[in-house]
Amino acid sequence: MNAQLEIDDITTHPLAGTTLSGADIVVQVLADEGVDVVFGYSGGAILPVYDAVFRYNHDNVRADGSEPLPLIVPANEQGAGFMAAGYARASGKVGVALVTSGPGATNTVTPVRDSMADSIPIVVICGQVPTAAIGTDAFQEAPVSSIMASCAKHVFLVTDASKLEATLRTAFEIARTGRPGPVVVDIPKDIQNVPLVFAGEGRLPIPGYRARLRAIDEAALDDDACARFFAELDRASRPLIYAGGGVIAGTAAEALRDFAHAFGIPVTTTLMGIGAYDTTEPLSLHMLGMHGTAFANYAIDDCDFLLAVGSRFDDRVAGVPAKFAPHSKFLAHLDIDPAEIDKVKRVDWHHLGDLSRALSRLRAFGLARGVDGARLAPWHAEIAYLKSRHAMNYDRDATLIQPCAVIEEINRLTKGEAIISTGVGQHQMWAAQYFDFREPRLWLTSGSMGTMGFGLPAAIGAQFARRDRIVIDIDGDASIRMNLGELETVTTYDLPVKIVVLNNYGDGMVRQWQKLFFKGRFSASDKSLHKKDFVKAAQADGFPWAVRLDKREDLARVIAEFIAFKGPAFLEVVIDPDAGVYPMVGPGMSYAEMITGDHIHSRLPDAAPREASPAEMF
Amino acid sequence: MRRIISMLLQNEAGVLGRVAGMFSARGYNIDSLTVAPTHDASVSRLTLVTAGDDAVISQIIKQSRKLIDVIEIADITSRAHLECELLMVKVELAQDALSAFVACLRRHPRAQVLDISAGVRTIEFTGTGAEVNTFLADLGDIASILELARSGTAALEPGEAVLAPAVETGPR
Repeated sequence: MNAQLEIDDITTHPLAGTTLSGADIVVQVLADEGVDVVFGYSGGAILPVYDAVFRYNHDNVRADGSEPLPLIVPANEQGAGFMAAGYARASGKVGVALVTSGPGATNTVTPVRDSMADSIPIVVICGQVPTAAIGTDAFQEAPVSSIMASCAKHVFLVTDASKLEATLRTAFEIARTGRPGPVVVDIPKDIQNVPLVFAGEGRLPIPGYRARLRAIDEAALDDDACARFFAELDRASRPLIYAGGGVIAGTAAEALRDFAHAFGIPVTTTLMGIGAYDTTEPLSLHMLGMHGTAFANYAIDDCDFLLAVGSRFDDRVAGVPAKFAPHSKFLAHLDIDPAEIDKVKRVDWHHLGDLSRALSRLRAFGLARGVDGARLAPWHAEIAYLKSRHAMNYDRDATLIQPCAVIEEINRLTKGEAIISTGVGQHQMWAAQYFDFREPRLWLTSGSMGTMGFGLPAAIGAQFARRDRIVIDIDGDASIRMNLGELETVTTYDLPVKIVVLNNYGDGMVRQWQKLFFKGRFSASDKSLHKKDFVKAAQADGFPWAVRLDKREDLARVIAEFIAFKGPAFLEVVIDPDAGVYPMVGPGMSYAEMITGDHIHSRLPDAAPREASPAEMF
Repeated sequence: MRRIISMLLQNEAGVLGRVAGMFSARGYNIDSLTVAPTHDASVSRLTLVTAGDDAVISQIIKQSRKLIDVIEIADITSRAHLECELLMVKVELAQDALSAFVACLRRHPRAQVLDISAGVRTIEFTGTGAEVNTFLADLGDIASILELARSGTAALEPGEAVLAPAVETGPR
């Protein structure tokens, strides 16, 4: 009995049994969950929690004067949501946004949906009007639980104050477990003010979810499944791995590398999977898909065995599922989410479970059977040929600055070690294609949702997660406008974030589609009449280093200064407005029909773009 | 193909909205839906009738299973099953149709008259969806239907089989 008491003493929360307000409980659970920064904007219905954060930071100030739970205030709550997402993407930890009711909460809908679509763990805590006022069309009231239910992994509306503490802890559990995602907790103001006894432990019952998690957790590949996998691999002469964001979310990059090395299987990654496999390795084919490298896409066309790992045959990869990997005789799929198996393409073999364990198990099984990659030498030679024959390239003789040259020059200095965030559009694709990424969590991009305006707030969040790393937002002139207010957030917190705006005076990707598929009618995509002086805007927001680069001969020097600058730095580069993103697998096209542009070798003798019908376009 | 899907749900606020929202967001149709608490007040049972081929139904089940408050889910139509639907129907009955109406009730012994008013009858009928349709067609030939309410299909498996909730073992 005494021993039992001692164990209880050790495991009991020091504040267990004390009376705290609901708001204080929110802050205490955040601290207990390991949260070390909160992104948010205050307002009426969340004031008690903001006050509790203030008091917590005052009472627990660190020896060096820093706050244990700094509150980072954006210009707009969308910024807070993307900062939390950037923090989560760069660290793998749960990012937290704290916003008020009504407009504060609805401004986070976009980052919540974005995080759902890319499986990013964030917790958004929203104030809500007092319980008695819910449903009365009160000031700053919005039906957050209904709105968020459609786009979050889960949403809680706290209706019973006694469940507040368990609800918050459960929210973190749901966000970070399984296929990660955003969880929203909507807390009426009266519940933030009510005095409660803090338990220091306990979660809500979610038996179905936990049972499904456990099943995935306990799933192991049996010998039969491994044997079938290797029987097919033995038969294959051109095997390929197609890795997605699940490898990063599942911390399986190391296991993937070991697996690929053990059997000599080349790896291509999705946009979300960039960094899952070191892009500088000989077996790396970099990104596949609509704007993937020509050599990756041709390798997909050529392969006779395809292993999808944590990827989902999304429409930007398998635009025409029936024509994707047309020569593969065996399609295998490793994933954590049962709903992704056979969703787009029927596979011949699959396993649901932890990716790292599954890959390690397969590797051990194969090694024990003496499988190695030596017999694949002809395939490796073919891969090397594809990589050199169909290498990425652009107009290197142009007078106007080419965006790919800017990326290449930055990459030459940062060597695949920088954290890169992006907006959405052409600049995003150039960054994906021309940067190297040596490890996971360096590439932060809005992959599935494609949210313009993601880059700047995500970079801010990432810098809080990784103070030691250089963080660069590669942005476009149109994308950065979407959250331009966050320029000031960078200087307010004196973050050494680097911002590059590749300015082509318009919505470049939209223009590219209009050029290819709408006979050059540039409906609403031209911004050449816009008057903004980006450098002055950055200076007005306090950037000590803000430069416009518009001469090709200055490129190397200016970029070296930009990267070397210790504080916040803003670089606008006036680029060739006609630069396009190539390769391009147009809507409805197979990889074989890919347009490679003027500077990348195509396998097709005449790769003239065919006109797509509006019906197949999106 | 018509399918009956049964779900056990945690009896939480908003759970029905989440299930219905997921169906509409992913473009799945709901032909009928019925939900009520079970013998365990913390658990509701939802029975949903939809249509789709095997691939669609498989996705519906997998996507539903991702909802946090779904405890268990199954395609009941893939197994032996019993189904039942409650109909309440109000008809206007002409004086000369009375004997035909009585004969109709004899043909459908599960029909029960709940209310008799001047020229109007309110009737309850329970049966499978198909039986309800047959009864309604039969009744409609005799009397004029004023209004009706159908509960939507409920279904259970025969024998010992039950849709068992997962056992909560606590967070790990």
